[in-house]
Amino acid sequence: MAYFRTKEQAAGVFAHLFTILLSDEQFTARMREAGLTLRLVQSKPDVELYVDPDGVTVDAGVDKAVINIKMSCDTAHALWSGRLLMPVALATGKVRIRGSVAKVLEFVPLLQPAFDRYPEIAARAGVAAA
Amino acid sequence: MTTATDHLAFGSLTPELTVLQQQVRDFADEVVRPRVSRNDQAPADDFDWELVRRGHELGLFRLVIPKEYGGLGHGVLGVAVALEELAAVCAGTALIFGATLLGQAPVLLSGDPRLQSRYLPLFNAADPVLACNAVTEDLAGCDLLIPENAVHAADVLSARKVGDGYVLNGRKRFITNGKVAHFASVYGNLVGSPGATGLTCFMVPLDAEGVTRGPVADKMGYRACLGTELVFTDVVVPADQVVGGEGNGMVVNIQQMNMARATVAAISTGIARGAFERAKEFAGDRVQGGVPLYRHQFSARKLAEMSAKIDAARMLYLRAAHLADTELPAPAYEPAAAKLFADRIAIEVAEEAMSLMGARGYLREYGIEKFVRESFGARIYEGTPEVLALAVTEALYAEEDDDF
Repeated sequence: MAYFRTKEQAAGVFAHLFTILLSDEQFTARMREAGLTLRLVQSKPDVELYVDPDGVTVDAGVDKAVINIKMSCDTAHALWSGRLLMPVALATGKVRIRGSVAKVLEFVPLLQPAFDRYPEIAARAGVAAA
Repeated sequence: MTTATDHLAFGSLTPELTVLQQQVRDFADEVVRPRVSRNDQAPADDFDWELVRRGHELGLFRLVIPKEYGGLGHGVLGVAVALEELAAVCAGTALIFGATLLGQAPVLLSGDPRLQSRYLPLFNAADPVLACNAVTEDLAGCDLLIPENAVHAADVLSARKVGDGYVLNGRKRFITNGKVAHFASVYGNLVGSPGATGLTCFMVPLDAEGVTRGPVADKMGYRACLGTELVFTDVVVPADQVVGGEGNGMVVNIQQMNMARATVAAISTGIARGAFERAKEFAGDRVQGGVPLYRHQFSARKLAEMSAKIDAARMLYLRAAHLADTELPAPAYEPAAAKLFADRIAIEVAEEAMSLMGARGYLREYGIEKFVRESFGARIYEGTPEVLALAVTEALYAEEDDDF
């Protein structure tokens, strides 16, 4: 069963999630300092998000960012819900990342607020728990 | 023209890595080289803490650790470049630092801020902290590396779930740094899972109650680093020290290996380079038939083949390390191919270097015989040629999915 019924639903949930991260000045300062941009290529439903310190854009038409992450929306849901662990998602090919691994590793600790808030954001958008 | 000794001059390294490379080359020449013979001929359990301390001061234990945690953030590529420099002088010294990367890798891959903030800042302390990776066992080697073999693994270290934790019992063998490491990534099989099908990765401080560091293996080469048994007797590990979740040890281990193989290929490249540099010098100085050896066609052919092989091995490991720094999951093909090739040419080049130097190649004082002994080491750890061949061919026949 797919967790997301429409592209709009998926775009809304994940854009909201990153908007919360960007509301943290420490997070955006670190992004600017590191020159970090993020491109999320998600499938089923297909939705692409581009995140830079100035905001989140859906289907921005950007080909490459500093970090590019590809996964299905269901995998993203399981990851952010804490039901799927990143090493397993990577090793099984459910998540693929292209870009600076060092920058990915540096930013992992800063993502914690998103993990904390995700279940509530998903539930409010009517997405079933993973 | 770049050559095997003027290596990496083709502009592929960043300015930061070029500086690192020179720093490590100076360290290898000034600090490691004078101690090579002593450390090679010392008793098996002798460990040169002063050398390790000097390497720690240079940052060799935190090359791959993100800056966020006090590391240098040089990635796998930085580790590989540094290890070639060290291995060109002493492969055993290189592996002290390489094995620590292996122990760090599961924490890096975990994406778990709690594990990362507990373990990674340790490497920025005043005193050196080493890590190790505890996979291999007496009856289980490749059975813990190849998923299809897992069901056949015998007598694997057991992990029994008790309350909010696990109790580990078993014995690990040939664990580099096991005698001196602060913590280990330890792979144990969940009780009730056949073979190693419940393999799980645990982070275990080695001062935990029930951990015993066993005797040091008396090895043919790599004598500067210590390979040790680790015995776990009713060792209690809290659940939050599991990496990647229960039963996912094999996938964590495969990721870890794909990161590490590029760096082992760099060690083999360094061994080949170290042997080649001595043979090249000898063939330039030694006069027979009125001309230096290198002017004789048979010797020239040998030197040319050796140099080309080293260059090729280096390019393969640089590519593999670069991909390990820019792709998650780390690719399987490139690191395996790099290691397969570099391990083989290390043996070939060291043997040819010995041959070129004649009787002097057979004497300890010329240092070539140590490179010959050590050239065989990397063919065993982090994947034998047989295991690497399976990884390479599996990748060759894997279905490509790439519009990314």
